[in-house]
Amino acid sequence: MRYINIFLIFFSLLVSSGTVYEFSNDEDEKRFNKLLNDIRCPKCTSGSLSSSNAPISEDLKQKIAEMINSNKTDNEIKEYVTKRFGKDSLYEPEFSRETYILWFSPFLVLILGLFFFLLRRKI
Amino acid sequence: MKILLKLIILILPASFIWMFFLLLTEDDSIIGADYRNFALPEFNLEQLDESIFIDSSDLGDDYIINVWASWCITCRVEHPYLMSLNNKGVPIIGLNYKDEKNDALEWLSKFGNPYERIIHDYKGTLALDLGVTGAPETFLVQNGKIIAHYQGEINESIWNEVFSPIIEEKELF
Amino acid sequence: MIIEISHFLSILSTGLFFLVGSFALTTNNTPYTSNLISRTYSHAFLFLSSSFLIYIWLAITDNFSVQYIANHSNSALPTFYKISSIWSAHEGSMFLWIFFLALWGFIFNIKIKNAEILKPKTMGIISLIIVGFLLFLLITSNPFITILPIAPLNGADINPVLQDPALAIHPPTLYLGYVGFVIPFACSLAFLINGDPDAKWEKLVNKWSVSAWVFLTVGITLGSWWAYYELGWGGYWFWDPVENVALMPWLAATAFLHSLSVSIKSSQLRTWTILLSITVFSLSLFGAFIVRSGIIDSVHSFANDPQRGLYLLAFIAVIIAASLSLFVSRLSLIKPSGNIKTFSKQSFISINNIFFVTLIFSVMLGVTYPLIYEYLYDQKISVGAPFYNAIFIPIVILASIFLFFSVDSKWSRSIDFRIFTKPIVLSLFFALTSTFAIYFIFKTNNIAILLTIFTGLIVIIRYLIEVWTALVYKKYLNVFSAIAHFALGLLLVSISFNSLLSTERALNIKINEFEEYKDLTIYFKDIRVRKDSNYDAIKAEFNIKDKYGNNFDLSPEKRRYFTRGQITTETAIYISPLRDIYLTIGDQLEDGSWIVNVQINFLIRWIWFSACLMAFAGIVLIFSNRKSNI
Repeated sequence: MRYINIFLIFFSLLVSSGTVYEFSNDEDEKRFNKLLNDIRCPKCTSGSLSSSNAPISEDLKQKIAEMINSNKTDNEIKEYVTKRFGKDSLYEPEFSRETYILWFSPFLVLILGLFFFLLRRKI
Repeated sequence: MKILLKLIILILPASFIWMFFLLLTEDDSIIGADYRNFALPEFNLEQLDESIFIDSSDLGDDYIINVWASWCITCRVEHPYLMSLNNKGVPIIGLNYKDEKNDALEWLSKFGNPYERIIHDYKGTLALDLGVTGAPETFLVQNGKIIAHYQGEINESIWNEVFSPIIEEKELF
Repeated sequence: MIIEISHFLSILSTGLFFLVGSFALTTNNTPYTSNLISRTYSHAFLFLSSSFLIYIWLAITDNFSVQYIANHSNSALPTFYKISSIWSAHEGSMFLWIFFLALWGFIFNIKIKNAEILKPKTMGIISLIIVGFLLFLLITSNPFITILPIAPLNGADINPVLQDPALAIHPPTLYLGYVGFVIPFACSLAFLINGDPDAKWEKLVNKWSVSAWVFLTVGITLGSWWAYYELGWGGYWFWDPVENVALMPWLAATAFLHSLSVSIKSSQLRTWTILLSITVFSLSLFGAFIVRSGIIDSVHSFANDPQRGLYLLAFIAVIIAASLSLFVSRLSLIKPSGNIKTFSKQSFISINNIFFVTLIFSVMLGVTYPLIYEYLYDQKISVGAPFYNAIFIPIVILASIFLFFSVDSKWSRSIDFRIFTKPIVLSLFFALTSTFAIYFIFKTNNIAILLTIFTGLIVIIRYLIEVWTALVYKKYLNVFSAIAHFALGLLLVSISFNSLLSTERALNIKINEFEEYKDLTIYFKDIRVRKDSNYDAIKAEFNIKDKYGNNFDLSPEKRRYFTRGQITTETAIYISPLRDIYLTIGDQLEDGSWIVNVQINFLIRWIWFSACLMAFAGIVLIFSNRKSNI
């Protein structure tokens, strides 16, 4: 029930004000824009929410704006999206056992490379 | 040391290429199906054919949710199969997605109604909470939890591949 | 039918190239054989280019009996786009790729004397690679298929998004870059086969490599610029898989050029240089594979076809296997070249190679990880900007700091251990104060941005001092290096400010009303319907005033193309030195107002300017006459 009320309030707000997604402060708006860049459009082959104006993207943007305004954290919003649209909706891969290799190996390669360079100095 | 480097130089690209070979030749799992597990979202929306509000408690324990609309052409294609499912006793709840009530009711009277109850989700809020991106889509719900989801039109073979195994395993319907 | 002549000529050239290749790699090198190889290559190229030119002619003259032309062109298209429609899809763009490959070989053939020891084998290797691609074209991706007996009256319209001048020249420029690296690739292999360690292949390919690098740089920049104004999203780099497979050869090529300069100057790092030359070309081929095999989803992908993917993969596997085996077996050819002195220029470039290899590895990892993950865990993940930024920002900053200190390094001598010389101290001082100023003025806590700005500034200032010293004290200056590295510093600063300052908002405005955003007053003048030859459009007209006294009109549109019913949004951009005002229109709301997306993008033109400046540095090098060739 609460969902509907909140949604109706925001919908009527957006009809009357000049801003489509209203936020109470600049920080929230920045958060919103950042999230839109980091979340995949559910229906497009490739592309973030910010680059898509498919109806489902618009719906999702609206929902995310609502969630920000109800003080949900970024993590809660991301969880909402991944539960429904899959882990691959986030452009930031998770940081878990399965992805340690992804996040750490570049630095490992760099350190190993520099180490061998110092060792040999005759490349 | 030099031997190690030589080995790396040869093996690394080789393994990459081998990996791509495998990826190109493997069989895809069913595209459009996912088995993400989460609780059915709360909702309180109007029923399509009566002026009453329904929520999840009105729907029962185990059922199918089918997302459809009168503007959705593919929905007409899958419709006969839904009718046959209904005849076999599978409880199907309809989710009428971003549709005008009159258009939806007309569509049903023209083609037939396979649904036990129909939720009128005009704004698509429940659909969004379910992770719907368009119509038709179908969900399998058990004890208030979503356990299977298919994007696209269902027919005999899709039903048998995506839903039947789980239905049989959990002895639903 | 004329198309059959074109088809025949391609088949004929395949045979001739095979002849050149097999002969060149199996015969002794004498003036006679060298001459024969060179001439036959030119003949083969003549056939191939005639085939390609006829094909272009058929496209210009609307010959829709050719299936590919019917599918991708239309008589209503301007001639320029009829030509560019040739490379708008897989078969045609492959044809262009092969033509460019052969073209590079042809120019090399003409400009390099037959007496050059490595030339025949180089031409031979190039020829065999061409054969591989031509077979791929003719067997799996035939552009010569005809629709008979009745040709369609008109073609299908190409994707309206492709009817754009920047997009028309982006693929050819990029391809010229990709395939240009066949020259150093083939030449390095010829060197390995030839067996004489004193053959200076590096010097031979220097300007060719820089030219290819320039094309690649410009090609990537064009893609970024096009994406910005066409796609309506306002970003300039998405880390999309296809962008990444263009970035990887570029990174490898840049590392290669650096390593090449060391090998030319002091015959050191020769092993690295050969390996990098093999890597650049392999990554170019790999890019072609990824885009055409359908293995990775992207906005960019050509039509998916696993069969083509398998062929390409096999072909690439053969090339990489052959070249790496050759490399590994002939490693001993390269004589030990003496120690690299601590923090000499060679040492810095050697370290630089490691940085670049790490970056290439990271991009490759990011592109392939979703595939690996799905294979192992049966689930999908995405790897996008957050990952690449997290990796690139620290590594690029670190590499740039090394660059900063390397300016004072000397060839073959340890660096003067008075590290904190006047130029270094000056640069650090000015950069530090500027960065603090920025911190206070813009009130940002973003360490990544501040560090990147600082790093960019120290590079910029250091090179400015270097240029000033050279002018005033008549000191020697490596102009190429100064311009290119200055451009890198500028790039870092531009990217940082763009990220720091750019903002956007979705507004909804009714006609004859206005909205304010930041320092802009946006007045919605009118919305009109207009029609063009292949689309109709809704054109929204806005007048914008800003607090600096600027007053300008912007008219974003939404277009609907007739032939495919496709709807596109056309952006409207106001360009000023420091920022772009970027407008697109969305849907109309129930109350009659329209959604208007406003973006203020700071320093975005500077980003492309920096990239072009880098490319310009390359052009300066190509036309310079200095004997040292660095």
